[in-house]
Amino acid sequence: MSATLFGLAGAALVGIGLFGLIVHPTALRKLLAFNLVGAGVFLVFGVVARRAAAAGLAGDPVPQAIVITGIVVAFAATALAATLLARLSGPEEEP
Amino acid sequence: MMVSLLPVWAVLTPVLGLCALLLCERWIRPERVAAPFVGLSLYLSLSMTYQVMTSQAPLVYALGGWLPPLGLTLRADGVGVFLMTLTALVMTGVAVCAWTPSEGASSRGRFSFWALLLALWSALNLAFTAQDLFNFFVALEMLSFAAVALVALDGTRGALVAALRYLLFALAGSILYLLGVGLIYGRYAVLDLAGLREIAQPDTVTLAALALMTVGLMAKTALFPLHLWLPPAHAGAPAPASAMLSALVVKAPFLIILRLWVDLLPLPAAAPQQIMAGLGAAAILVCSVIALRQQRLKLMIAYSTLAQVGYLFLMFPLMPGPAPWQDIGWTGGLLQLASHGFAKAAMFLAAGLIYEALGHDRVAELGGLARRQPVTLAAFAIAGLSLMGLPPSGGFIAKLLLLTAAVEAGAWWIAAVILAGGILAAFYVFRALGHALADGDPPVAPVALYRQGAVLALALCALAIGFVPLRPFALLAIGRPLEALEALP
Amino acid sequence: MNGASMNGLLLAASFALPLLLAVAALWPPMRRHLLAALPAAPLPALAAALLAPGGSLMLAPDPLRLTLALDEPGAMLLGGSALLWCAAGAYAAHYLAASPRRTTFAVWWLLTMAGSLGLCLVADMTSFYLFFTVASLAAYGLVAHEATPAAGRASLVYMALALLGEAFLLLAFVMLAIGAPGIGNPAIAEAVAHLAASPFRDAILVLLVLGFGLKMGLVPLHVWMPLAHPVAPMPASAVLSGIIVKAGVIGLIRFLPFGGGLEGGGLGGWGEALIGLGLFTAFYAVAIGLTQPHPKVVLAYSTVSQMGVVAAVAGAGLASGSRATPVLAAFYALHHMLVKGALFLGVGVTGKAGGRSAGPVFAVMAVMALSLAGLPFTSGALAKYVVKDLFGDGAAALAVTLSATGSTLLMLHFLRRLAGLVAADAGKRPPAGLLLPFLAMAAASFLVVGLLLPATGASYAAALAPQALWKACWPVLLGGALAVLLHRFAPCLPAIPPGDLIVLAERGWPAVLRLADRLERADETLRRWPVAGALLLLLLLGLGAAMQLSAGFHIPGG
Repeated sequence: MSATLFGLAGAALVGIGLFGLIVHPTALRKLLAFNLVGAGVFLVFGVVARRAAAAGLAGDPVPQAIVITGIVVAFAATALAATLLARLSGPEEEP
Repeated sequence: MMVSLLPVWAVLTPVLGLCALLLCERWIRPERVAAPFVGLSLYLSLSMTYQVMTSQAPLVYALGGWLPPLGLTLRADGVGVFLMTLTALVMTGVAVCAWTPSEGASSRGRFSFWALLLALWSALNLAFTAQDLFNFFVALEMLSFAAVALVALDGTRGALVAALRYLLFALAGSILYLLGVGLIYGRYAVLDLAGLREIAQPDTVTLAALALMTVGLMAKTALFPLHLWLPPAHAGAPAPASAMLSALVVKAPFLIILRLWVDLLPLPAAAPQQIMAGLGAAAILVCSVIALRQQRLKLMIAYSTLAQVGYLFLMFPLMPGPAPWQDIGWTGGLLQLASHGFAKAAMFLAAGLIYEALGHDRVAELGGLARRQPVTLAAFAIAGLSLMGLPPSGGFIAKLLLLTAAVEAGAWWIAAVILAGGILAAFYVFRALGHALADGDPPVAPVALYRQGAVLALALCALAIGFVPLRPFALLAIGRPLEALEALP
Repeated sequence: MNGASMNGLLLAASFALPLLLAVAALWPPMRRHLLAALPAAPLPALAAALLAPGGSLMLAPDPLRLTLALDEPGAMLLGGSALLWCAAGAYAAHYLAASPRRTTFAVWWLLTMAGSLGLCLVADMTSFYLFFTVASLAAYGLVAHEATPAAGRASLVYMALALLGEAFLLLAFVMLAIGAPGIGNPAIAEAVAHLAASPFRDAILVLLVLGFGLKMGLVPLHVWMPLAHPVAPMPASAVLSGIIVKAGVIGLIRFLPFGGGLEGGGLGGWGEALIGLGLFTAFYAVAIGLTQPHPKVVLAYSTVSQMGVVAAVAGAGLASGSRATPVLAAFYALHHMLVKGALFLGVGVTGKAGGRSAGPVFAVMAVMALSLAGLPFTSGALAKYVVKDLFGDGAAALAVTLSATGSTLLMLHFLRRLAGLVAADAGKRPPAGLLLPFLAMAAASFLVVGLLLPATGASYAAALAPQALWKACWPVLLGGALAVLLHRFAPCLPAIPPGDLIVLAERGWPAVLRLADRLERADETLRRWPVAGALLLLLLLGLGAAMQLSAGFHIPGG
């Protein structure tokens, strides 16, 4: 039952995030919204990992590995976008 | 299949080059450090192609001896080595053209350029040899990050805005893709393509996952109408970067879409394929018209990329056979991919040299170029020939094969779009050529002849594809259908 | 080296030399001499036409199968083209010697030449399309050379129609190749033999006639010709009108199934339809041409009219199933090629001739002009004599004969307009660089066409018999009488702009621009972030729904 609940929570996060990604005009908010979608997707992976517990394992390691990699990628993306944003909002440099 | 470490080296060599660049940054100029790695990667790609062609079998390596579903495999099949060769030749051309002996550009910018070139190359080789859905994701993210950084390389405000827009939209695409991967794993507990091929069913979850992944990748490949990021990004980046972005980067997500639809879950041709071809057709018609109205050469070329990407999506309804890789639609689409790669790289590099020579790239003020830079202009014209789909060129053969497939399938609207797209492309290419051939005596900065020669060589590669015979191309069918790796041979 | 491979090399050299010279323009020291090299470039083709008929060469083996072969009609057109390219090249070397854009002109010239000469030689479909495309697109540079607004408009119209024609042909070739045996690149003859059995037979024929008719200027696809010929430099007009339009003729000769295949199955109508289209073109062009004041425009309309006759010849060949049709059509086209080339070159010479030199030049022009009308003892009379039998003796035969009357009218009108061009300065002499090529072409029209007459199966005795001469004479005399009559009513003729129908079509241009504007604005909207984001989701839902629907909903158990 909890798997369904977490799945629904993940779906809700994805939905809210996508809404923000489309509607918010500022780039920073879009970036936050992207992270929200990311959190939702990782939650879905968590649910998937939990379902493997039925097979007697404590949890499926593959989705966990994927989530960790995904978090690293999302972190890198956020850092890159934040750098670009900072360059954009800072004083204009001569290229 | 043959076990071979070569696919691994193809991915690793550029990364090693990247490490060498970081280590030697203080002492040696970046292009000198990168050059041997560029040469080595080119050699690796060519030798892999040679091996696949002689053995008629894909090269496979299971990392660490772990088999799927737990382990990762790299597998260079016919399509893989074909695209790796395309990548290697384009990258080498770009590298020669970007090799500036003068101390003009800032050293920091040069360092970043060469580092990103190598990063991009590694990511592309990974995308072309990866065999499971998550590995695709990793390759695509590496690709996107390197590409975004290339767009931002100039550091101007416009370039930064374009890069940010590119990054955010690409991220939206990736996250949809990743959600699809999650659904697939939840359904089958397998991510390996060959394994999935055996058990995947066209049920609701699988189809929803496929739709998520496909649309996410469409956003990354800038299929109309999801193209908002491409024109500013490709027109704003430095020309050698634009060449790589337009020629190679948008092709990787396309290849993955193709593999999802052919390798993972072959569906009978129906409405979804028609929708994809419809979007491709809209891209060809709308973006060609807009290319025709651009005032700046690089924007024109960027819109032309959008139109040419549209041609790739026409192939989905044109491979109706049980083995799509034996259909001429498959050969036509992949030849279009390669010939556009060469032609577009040549065109962007030519635009870059024109910019260096004239100090601008306004189409209406190109007069006098024919006399001052005949080699660059010849390269531009030959590349244009391929884009227009006129013989003898790769673009012609590709469009001829797609057209034949469309007529055989009775898809008359696709045939009409292919022909109309060719006419529109001819107009925008001839418009630029016409201005360049006009009178004029502009002040021209000198451009080294070897750099012009590199551009011409790329354009001639696009021309050379025109001599592929008009039939399904055997190389492109090697390694299909996918076979699950049961044990290490 | 044996004879066969020697012949093969000659064939390849026919188009390879112009191509090499064009590529040599990339090398700066060569550029200064390029214009002077123009007359030499077609010499291998001329040699091939004389020495290598029947020769063939496989440029690339299976599966590419790029094949060269020189048959009789091909040799006629190859030789005629090479002659005209030579003469016009020599003329151009003098005419454009001072032009700042002479190198660019020379490159376009050489590319067009390579395309048009190669077109006479190729035997496989891909190569045919290749050379057809090269010839027709490179000629754009010749039309656009003068860089005036009129040249800009003419070249745009030319380009648009040429590309449209290419598209028709490509589709036709693709459909033709699908029916043909083997995959890939069938030989033209094999593909045409298969045409009657092709499921797309009618569509292919329509597309072929559209594509080649566009090049020949069959009404209503003739609109580019009266625009393009007057704005091009004089030698370029000569090759445009003499040679480029013949690309369409070669196409018809090669791709229509003469000598069987189409009579059965209720397809006999195709020949008659082509005759009708050709004859309508022949008379329509005369009618419009009579209203034109500019001599070069009149000549352009005359070309349209003559190509209408050639199309009618092809149609008659289809209808009668005569296997001799390709040779006859090529013979007629050869006559027109040489005479029209001489006329265009002569227009330039007349403008430079004054006083005593004007008379002889004008006399030669008059003979050339009336040769188009079929005056006895000229190449025109032989050409018309040769094709006459194809039409039998029904209404079509009468119409073809009367087309000679129309040509007489048009040519007399041309001569009257030409007289206005004669230089006012009585001391002016045409320079030898212009005069000699003109006279050479005029002489060639008599010699070449005269010598080739037996190749068509006709005999000199029959062609020069009094009865045949009278048959050639009376339409010309009738035309002369009508011309006198017409002269009375000349002020009543309406003023029709050159390119007639194109003016109507151009009224739609603002609407096209508006459409493009609208597309551009739509693109701006689509590139706004909220719109693109919403489209991303919509596409996801749409594609997902389409996939579910086409697979049928199916929720997995468990």
